[in-house]
Amino acid sequence: MTGPTRPRTPRSPHRASPQLRLRIGFVLIAMVLSVFAARLVQLQGVDPENYADMAAAEGSDTILLPATRGDIVDRRGNPLAVSIDGRMIVADPALTADDASQLASFLARRLDLDYVEVLERLRMEDSRFQYIARQVPARRAADVIADAEAKGFVGLFTQRDPVRIYPSGDLAANLVGFLGTPRKDGSARALAGLEDAFDDFLSGADGEAHYEVGAGNQLPLGDHTVTPAVDGSDLTLTIDRDLQFFTQKVLQQTVEGAHGESGIAVVMDSRTGELLALADYPTYDASQPQEWPKSRYKSSALTDVYEPGSVQKVLTLSAVIDAGLGRPRQQYVVPPVLNRQDRPIHDHWVHGIEHLTLAGILAKSSNIGTVLAADEFAPGVLREYLTEFGLGRQTDIGLRGETKGILPAGAEWTDQVDDRIAFGQSLSVNAIQMIAAVNAIANDGVRIDPSLVKGSATLDDGTEIGTDQADRRRVVSAEAARQTALMMERVLDPDDGVASIARVGDYRISGKTGTAQRVSDRCGCYDGSRTSSFIGFGPTDDPRFTIYVVVHDSRAGGGSVVAGPAFAKLMGYALRRYSVPPTETEPSRLPVEW
Amino acid sequence: MSSTAPQIRSRLPRIAEVAVRRARLTVVPRPRTRPRAARVPFVTLVSVILLAGVIGLLLFNTSMQQASFRATTLEQQAADLTAQEEALRIELQQLHDPQRIADLAQRRGMVVPTGASCVLSLDGGITGSCAPAPPGNKLPMDPPDPQRPAALDPEPVTVSADGAEGRNGARNGVPGLDRRR
Repeated sequence: MTGPTRPRTPRSPHRASPQLRLRIGFVLIAMVLSVFAARLVQLQGVDPENYADMAAAEGSDTILLPATRGDIVDRRGNPLAVSIDGRMIVADPALTADDASQLASFLARRLDLDYVEVLERLRMEDSRFQYIARQVPARRAADVIADAEAKGFVGLFTQRDPVRIYPSGDLAANLVGFLGTPRKDGSARALAGLEDAFDDFLSGADGEAHYEVGAGNQLPLGDHTVTPAVDGSDLTLTIDRDLQFFTQKVLQQTVEGAHGESGIAVVMDSRTGELLALADYPTYDASQPQEWPKSRYKSSALTDVYEPGSVQKVLTLSAVIDAGLGRPRQQYVVPPVLNRQDRPIHDHWVHGIEHLTLAGILAKSSNIGTVLAADEFAPGVLREYLTEFGLGRQTDIGLRGETKGILPAGAEWTDQVDDRIAFGQSLSVNAIQMIAAVNAIANDGVRIDPSLVKGSATLDDGTEIGTDQADRRRVVSAEAARQTALMMERVLDPDDGVASIARVGDYRISGKTGTAQRVSDRCGCYDGSRTSSFIGFGPTDDPRFTIYVVVHDSRAGGGSVVAGPAFAKLMGYALRRYSVPPTETEPSRLPVEW
Repeated sequence: MSSTAPQIRSRLPRIAEVAVRRARLTVVPRPRTRPRAARVPFVTLVSVILLAGVIGLLLFNTSMQQASFRATTLEQQAADLTAQEEALRIELQQLHDPQRIADLAQRRGMVVPTGASCVLSLDGGITGSCAPAPPGNKLPMDPPDPQRPAALDPEPVTVSADGAEGRNGARNGVPGLDRRR
């Protein structure tokens, strides 16, 4: 019974038993399952929300709803700074390198760019992102991209890049300031002026829309949440654009004509304290700020201090009258030289013994007479008056970097300093302080806080400022203010005054010249240069405008010659623009001599 | 008495017989079913409702999708029109620029009057005396030239006549600060 037997396959010596192989298989399966389990724990236990969000992000889209930055407008709603939708045009050099020369030629022509620079960017190696142009108005960018695609160019795309436009260039640039290149997220980067001081007020808050998309379109029944953007508020200034333009031009003409270093011109509404024009020279173009040095990105009328000179006599003599220490017709004997403690005091003209009234002291701008009149003050009283007039304190009209000036206090206020302060030396002011102080005389002795912002607006530090917050407080009596105004009118008298050059047609105008020694920035001492100025208001018996013109380092003469004509032009323009008729009353006939 | 007993005897087996008969299991006759309702109309009705629902939903979805496409198109159109409006607004502002107007006026020989002695009062009369504006009373229309920071205004590189390499003058474009991105 030995049948054919199937030959037995020899077992491989390397092959384990089935049980062993099964065990190995099970172990492998267990290991794989363990990995799966660990991954499951990781997904569900460690950070499930993150993964859920990632899953939700697939097939959904979130777009930023940018808040529109508020405009900065003048008192009549004319724009000084406006925001429009813009795009950055970006190239992917990996796609543009082949047609770089033709594309560069096209872009340079359409966007006014430098051909060589664009060509370099289009050919940039190892880069997928090159700026071609930034802050291009959306309409123009769309046209350029569409035309480029029509010509067969590829590799250009756009991203949001809001544009801030300053339509009037250098008009009120020192006040408005400017925005720098936007940040990567498209938000504005305020760098100077009101743009910087009111950045939060103007910016608003961006919103967000989240929705599910399919093939680039929103899914109708998908999730859809919208957080609307809150647009920034408009900032309305008290500035009158046309008057500001004229003021800047007149100031430029004046400073250049006097070969001066710099100048300031301010026009204020006498009744409200609103600044209708505030010009600094030299200035810069807010639409191309990079072309000018950073030192121009400020308003000198607020940031720079100087000694006011004889315009200060208006404040001193109004205080003398208010304190009952003098009257416009009060008689003074003015010697050629007044020898005081440390040095003799002179007048700006050589004279013998003059017999001047208080009005004459102001009309002829006598330093000696002013010191004699102010001698009647008890210690500290003059300083109290000047403090009430607002000297030595910031005006807080909204721009950053304002100086509070220098008004000596305590032991610094010596008798010598007291004498010099009476006629406008040894103290420092900024131009807005000074015009607000003299405007108190125009406004029946009530000082009104100067305002640059109409209504109310919130600074970044939370302070509310504007015409709604402007305080009024009486500094001198209405009678003292009226008497001072009449004395100031004598300054423009052709026979008795020193500044008939500042007269304005048939209008009654009160004014005062100022020629002060100037402290040099380099040595911190009087270097022989002068600050020439003129301040005044009109019509004298019903003031509507207070105007102040300052020229630093003028080489053409004193306050009346340099700043007087500019004052007359500005006052004439303002009166005509606001249709203010002459009051047709008799001018002041106060005697100047006795 | 004799007649009653046999009656009982004869009745007992009959009761038992009935009991036995009742106890015996028998096949219950199948109850007659009620006449079956016609299935076809019902199925048709359900199918029609189902089909109408599906088609309605499809149409609704399609219409929603079309509305979505249209919304996207209209949004794009609105963005384009907004950009167009902004461009026109800028153009208008540039036309209103006092610098431009003053420049044009001055080129036509107009000057700004310095005085203010001619004021029309409400009754149409003239107050004060009128005087012509002096012809030399022109304003400086050109702002002073820019003063670039030194970094933007390098010394021009002069090129020697023998053909040495060099770039003549500074670029007037925006500095390439972003090139390294």
